[in-house]
Amino acid sequence: MSEDKQKRTVQTTGHAWDGDIQEFNNPLPTWWLWGFYLTVVFAVIYWFLYPAWPVGEGYTKGVANEIEYVTAEGKTVKTHWNTRALYQQELQMARQKQAEYQQQLAGKSYKEILSDPGKREYAFSVANVLFADNCAACHQDGGAGLAGMYPNLVDDDWLWGGSFEQIQASISDGRNGSMPGFKKRLSEQQLDDVSEYVLSLSEQHRHPAMAKRGESIFNGDGGCFACHTKAATGNPAMGAANLTDKIWTVAVVDPAMSYTEKKDAVKQVISNGIKRTMPAWKSRFNELEIRMLALYVHELGGGE
Amino acid sequence: MSALAHTSTTSYNYEIIRKFAVMAVIWGALGMFVGVYIALELAWPIFNFDTPAITFGRLRPVHTTLVIFGFGGSALFATSYYVVQRTCQVRLPSDMMANFTFWGWQLSIGLAAISYMMGFTQAREYAEMVWPIDLLIAVTWIVYFLVFVQTLQKRSQPHIYVANWFFLAFILATAILHIFNNMEVPISFFSLKSYSLHAGVQDAMTQWWYGHNAVGFFLTAAFLGMMYYFVPKQAGRPVYSYRLSIIHFWALVFLYMWVGAHHLHWTALPDWTSTLAATFSILLLLPSWGGMINGIMTLSGAWDKLRTDPVIRFLIVALSFYGMSTFEGPLMSLKSVNALSHYTDWTIGHVHSGALGWVAMITIGSFYHMIPRLWETRMYSTRLIYLHFWLATIGIVLYISAMWVAGIGQGLMLRAFDEYGNLAYTFIETVAFLKEPYVVRAIGGVFFVAGMFIMVFNVFMTILQSRREREMLEAKLASKMASA
Repeated sequence: MSEDKQKRTVQTTGHAWDGDIQEFNNPLPTWWLWGFYLTVVFAVIYWFLYPAWPVGEGYTKGVANEIEYVTAEGKTVKTHWNTRALYQQELQMARQKQAEYQQQLAGKSYKEILSDPGKREYAFSVANVLFADNCAACHQDGGAGLAGMYPNLVDDDWLWGGSFEQIQASISDGRNGSMPGFKKRLSEQQLDDVSEYVLSLSEQHRHPAMAKRGESIFNGDGGCFACHTKAATGNPAMGAANLTDKIWTVAVVDPAMSYTEKKDAVKQVISNGIKRTMPAWKSRFNELEIRMLALYVHELGGGE
Repeated sequence: MSALAHTSTTSYNYEIIRKFAVMAVIWGALGMFVGVYIALELAWPIFNFDTPAITFGRLRPVHTTLVIFGFGGSALFATSYYVVQRTCQVRLPSDMMANFTFWGWQLSIGLAAISYMMGFTQAREYAEMVWPIDLLIAVTWIVYFLVFVQTLQKRSQPHIYVANWFFLAFILATAILHIFNNMEVPISFFSLKSYSLHAGVQDAMTQWWYGHNAVGFFLTAAFLGMMYYFVPKQAGRPVYSYRLSIIHFWALVFLYMWVGAHHLHWTALPDWTSTLAATFSILLLLPSWGGMINGIMTLSGAWDKLRTDPVIRFLIVALSFYGMSTFEGPLMSLKSVNALSHYTDWTIGHVHSGALGWVAMITIGSFYHMIPRLWETRMYSTRLIYLHFWLATIGIVLYISAMWVAGIGQGLMLRAFDEYGNLAYTFIETVAFLKEPYVVRAIGGVFFVAGMFIMVFNVFMTILQSRREREMLEAKLASKMASA
């Protein structure tokens, strides 16, 4: 239908290319033309309202578009509309909201914050993002750590102590964990014996005679007791692990492993020793942020 | 009429077009396969296999270079040589120069892909090639310009057909863009490393002036040239409006050059530059749509062919996606929308609705028209063309809807504050959110690339079929001659 109408009313331009390609000379569609004019009007209005055209050394600033914001240093800035100012404004609004709660938290003890649901929730809102954006790279999302590399923070076992203050110190100043390797000082047999003893502290006995020999090395020539104590319960002041619970923080011992595999894992640590570093965060976070993080980490692992 | 067609077929340089057409299809399948592979890497990082050469960072420019310049570029060489010869009714002036453009271009693509995998890049988006390849491209492109212009000059038609305006604008603008974006100083003749002549925000501005006009002139104007020949040809109907084609051509080429800075909203770029880019992007909406209107209105009146002609289906879907992405583009160029969309997968979705929906679909449709004519036979299988159409269409829809979900979701999460004025989401939560959309995107990609492999097969069988037919014809002729 439309084809016939078109043929009657609209002429082609009269040329033909490649045998049969022709062109009608239809007028511009009205809606298209008016649509284009509309975008021109839009653009011109936009140019009047916002920074737009370069003029000489400067540029047109736009009219009636003043923005006012307060910087982090408390300076009030008035300027014409621009995207950097909008960003500063948004930051200022976030800072204002944060300040309300920060004031409530300032000078409060950990116990006080935890017992007040409002304060507790605010602390978690801060720490949740800080933890995931800064700590989770090593300690993993949720804080489960990586066996043998980065400590697990959710397992109720604390190498450096699990009190609020101890965790705060770990985050603020960092930690340097170090255990020497014993493969030069002890013979292969002795290493086996000590491993047997260490494993026997948390597992069923397999070779009581070996474990007995191991115990005398542990508390004698080996000198293990110096850090891990005679009871082998560890010493948080030095980051020495508690060897009597079933939680393995350094050696990669998994419940699914066979007894021999577990013993090999323990022997590996005794032979080679281990060095682990937690960086200090006090240059990156302010004190309040570190305290919120300490609280968060404490709650993750059911702190002491 | 048929006699004329016959004589012209023998006198045009079809050999160069056949070569470019075959390479376009091969680069297309390969480049899209690489695209699917890196999509899989994003969904399942295990696909990196701890091998630097095949990680996302190395393969991403391989993907973009193979699909834009390998597939798109070779397709444009092929169709522009086809269209300019047929609409000027004259042979390309020099077979040697045409061959030079073929080998120069293919060598550039191949070297680029290998060098990226080895880790050599100048880190300019869509222009990652190191300086010796830049030089090779510049020389190739200038020869292309000469071949094209000389063909126009010796045309036996009084008027230059509209498709050729678009092709010429594309060739000229691409030369300028390529040269100015790659002004660089090599650190020595024996090093692939070079430094850009521009610095800081001006360098960023130059890169996106190049980047967006690569979209404007390479991926839009040039493919409109393709559209202006193959749509009226396949539909058998005159172009809807000559007037519209003039107006939207000049509006398009004038306005595009201004808008690159909309890729740099909310950065160190001055706000006035940003504003001009945003407003010129809005001004560009209707001129872009001019091409779509002209294409769709040319097809109107031939709607019944949608039922019987798969080529028309490719062309109409291409025009629809063209209209959609040229609407989405100006929208995303507004600063407030851009604050949400920038640095998210929305951008990736937008690019692919243009690249797959418009560029690939119009090329595939045009090729299914052109290839049987180049080899003087029919396509081996029409059913496979239908299958390709459905695989491609479903693939695009899956791809872009997944990226809308991913991009808008990610954008909203990144800027959400909780009631206390703290960020509501951790960065890793915004990443974890992307997993499902990334899987869907990879599936969409698998659909699209499956269609492309079917095309490779169909084209290969068509070429074989053409060879067989010619042999039979020659045998028949020989036996006739013998009996006579």
